[in-house]
Amino acid sequence: MSTLVQYIPGQTAFHRLDPRAKIIFMLLVTGVVFIVQNLWVAGALLLTLILIWSLAGLPMSMLKGLGKAMVGIIAFLFVVQALLYPGETALIRPIIPSRVPLIGGVGKVTLEGILFALLLSLRLLATVIVLPLVTITTPVHLFLLGLVRMGLPYRWAYTTTTALNLIPILQAEANVIADAQRLRAFQVFEKGSFLEKLRAYPALVTPLVIGAMRRAQLMAVAMDSRAFGATRDRTYIQDIRMRAGDWAFIGFSVLYAALAATLNYLIV
Amino acid sequence: MTHPSEPTIIVDDVSYRYPRTKRYALRHLDLTIHRGEFVAVLGENGAGKSTFCQALNGVVPQSRGGRMRGRIVVGGLDTQQATVAELAQKVGIVLEDPETQLFTTSALSEVAFGPENLGVDPEEILRRARWALKAVGLAGYEDHAPTALSGGQKQRLAIAAALAMHPAVLVLDEATSQLDPMGTVEVFSVVRELNGQYGLTIVMATNKGEQVAQFCDRVLVLHDGELVAQGTPREIFADAELLGRVMIRAPQVSQLATYLEGRDTSLADFPITLDEARQGIVQLIGEAY
Amino acid sequence: MKDNDLAIVVEDLEYVYEPHSLQAIRGINLAVGRGEFVGIVGHNGAGKTTLLKNLVGLLLPTSGRVIVDGLDTRQTTVAELATRVGYVMQNPDQQLFAQTVEEEIAFGPRNLGLAEGEVKGRVQAAIALTGLDAFRQEFPPALAKGDRAKVVIGSVLAMRPDIFVFDEPTTGQDYRGCHQIMQIAHRLHRQGHTVLVVTHDVALVAEYTGRTVVLCQGEVLLDDTTAAVFAQPDMLRRTHVTPPQITQLAQALPRELGLPACALTVEQLGQPIAERARHIAPKQQRAGLLWEGSYSSDC
Repeated sequence: MSTLVQYIPGQTAFHRLDPRAKIIFMLLVTGVVFIVQNLWVAGALLLTLILIWSLAGLPMSMLKGLGKAMVGIIAFLFVVQALLYPGETALIRPIIPSRVPLIGGVGKVTLEGILFALLLSLRLLATVIVLPLVTITTPVHLFLLGLVRMGLPYRWAYTTTTALNLIPILQAEANVIADAQRLRAFQVFEKGSFLEKLRAYPALVTPLVIGAMRRAQLMAVAMDSRAFGATRDRTYIQDIRMRAGDWAFIGFSVLYAALAATLNYLIV
Repeated sequence: MTHPSEPTIIVDDVSYRYPRTKRYALRHLDLTIHRGEFVAVLGENGAGKSTFCQALNGVVPQSRGGRMRGRIVVGGLDTQQATVAELAQKVGIVLEDPETQLFTTSALSEVAFGPENLGVDPEEILRRARWALKAVGLAGYEDHAPTALSGGQKQRLAIAAALAMHPAVLVLDEATSQLDPMGTVEVFSVVRELNGQYGLTIVMATNKGEQVAQFCDRVLVLHDGELVAQGTPREIFADAELLGRVMIRAPQVSQLATYLEGRDTSLADFPITLDEARQGIVQLIGEAY
Repeated sequence: MKDNDLAIVVEDLEYVYEPHSLQAIRGINLAVGRGEFVGIVGHNGAGKTTLLKNLVGLLLPTSGRVIVDGLDTRQTTVAELATRVGYVMQNPDQQLFAQTVEEEIAFGPRNLGLAEGEVKGRVQAAIALTGLDAFRQEFPPALAKGDRAKVVIGSVLAMRPDIFVFDEPTTGQDYRGCHQIMQIAHRLHRQGHTVLVVTHDVALVAEYTGRTVVLCQGEVLLDDTTAAVFAQPDMLRRTHVTPPQITQLAQALPRELGLPACALTVEQLGQPIAERARHIAPKQQRAGLLWEGSYSSDC
């Protein structure tokens, strides 16, 4: 059972890229996503990512799964922006006429709002795809090595990758906890109101958090006992080497990001 | 592999309590463990076995905090003065939970983790790793993911990871409690081998009476933070008064001998193994074999 | 046995874990009568936990069916089944969350929508049976390991099922903890409940259960009285199970001694030995004379 960040072995060219190349790619894409204001550029960015995803041989079902997970937030975005975005082109007339003071204009759905929501959704989806794209195609220890060779102190890199490692573990724990609570007739997540679900969260979250804390403490003892952080001059039995293809990919990423940024400003 | 350093463990009037706790986890512990001994630490949950184990490599008190009085000297190093990293090269520790103490993606990288942290030369690390995996019977498992291993294999891997630090002492903190009987035997066999063949000093907190009877030279019994008894397995399992006070699980054959004593019947020698019990009973009732 | 005497019926159960098509159970047939105390043993991966999960509806059969208290698990919700069969999970820490032990135990009955008076009554009964009175107001995760296990047992008790299923209840417990937990199971059995215990601790199985089911590679290898099961060490070896030391001892003794060939507890072997020894004069003991009395030694 894999989660959305766990490594899946593969032999595609994307898999074999040096982790540093992939990390730089990820940072550049995330940077572009932050600044993009143009709907077409955002759309093209998302399509490129989806293309790379399939070139890397990753299952499309996972993408669908990601999309599904985002549906709630996206729907929320659409509703909020459609109603509240300051736009002029009304698609649906307000419930309360604009001339009424204070609450006038409520209920107006604007075209600008919908388009803005679309932009935000595309950016959100792009953000959500790019990290798994890298973590699913890169074994954790190589990811770590990549961060370290890029200059990140070992302890920081280790903390980052440990967090990544924990995601599948916590997900499995959450499933077990949910099962255990179901065995005590806990059905709120199957047929409870929104408020009931909110109030019932401790039953799932408390054991998870306490478990994570216990786990962290045990891991800390194990790590200390194996001299974690003993010296700055840590050695590694495995090493990574940049090849022509990796540099080429970085070059491509930089160009792509530059192009996207430029188009973003040109096509207003 | 013999070790030049003197791995004697000296515990000198040690008392310790965890941070923000009133109750003392260890109280006035005074004991010595000699090089090459295979020592079992028995006691109920909460008696201080884990705390004692973690005090041997300095995790207590250096990583866990809290107040410690008295001194522990392991291999010539004071556990409150030397760094945990320095101590890690004298004392290796294997913890109870197979899951949380293995955190890399392959057996080889797991075993390499410790020496990598010390900055050991990669060639040397590979040598140590191969030796360690072979010593625990996992040669050929270099590329296996730790998560794919059985419980017994995981704990053996944890032992190998500790061995790669070239310690003189191996401490096992309830390392078989989460394992099935087969895994328990695997771990005890490996540990006995390390003790016998490489002269490693072993300190093992456990509640497996039968294995203790079979493999250990000496037993320490902790109760409520204090050392309430020490002796050979035979002496401890024959001590009915002690076993009445401290609920530890003696081998069933020893329980049998104690039962018989309660009915005014003694076997010639107090048995702690199956063979001893068999001989004793045959001698008692039947034709001498 | 008539159908309503059967607490659990498992018919041709098969279970396959997707997506790797791992067949954990390859055809198990099992019938547990009401009031039985059954031990389930077998090597890791033999299908023990998978079987338990099928009994409580957490997993549904890939083929075959499971009937618990007359209900087909494929047609009953987990919540409904939880009122018939209580599953005490292996790791208590994966469900404890409430502020106090009382709240924790009340969780199940409250989920069932019971009146507050009924809930209080059940909590009280559960606390009494598990001996947790001193800890009523304590935060469950902060308790000692043995007590946390008891809180989980208490919260399952409060669901008032007829059948109890314990999954490795003694793993990681000390001797006192093992004893207390098995005593609770024993008490439940004496009250007439059906109890199943999955465990590696053969000494406890030998001491407490009347019947033992041995699983091997997803199938039932042996299903008989506990005594009969442990009298077959060769079969048991196939599933990496060894009889308790006392049983091995009894089996290793020469039959001419006239001692039971099968002993499940220290007392079962100790008592006849003590009896026998009493009849041998001290000097005769040393000479090793054979005692010629006959002694029924079948199980």
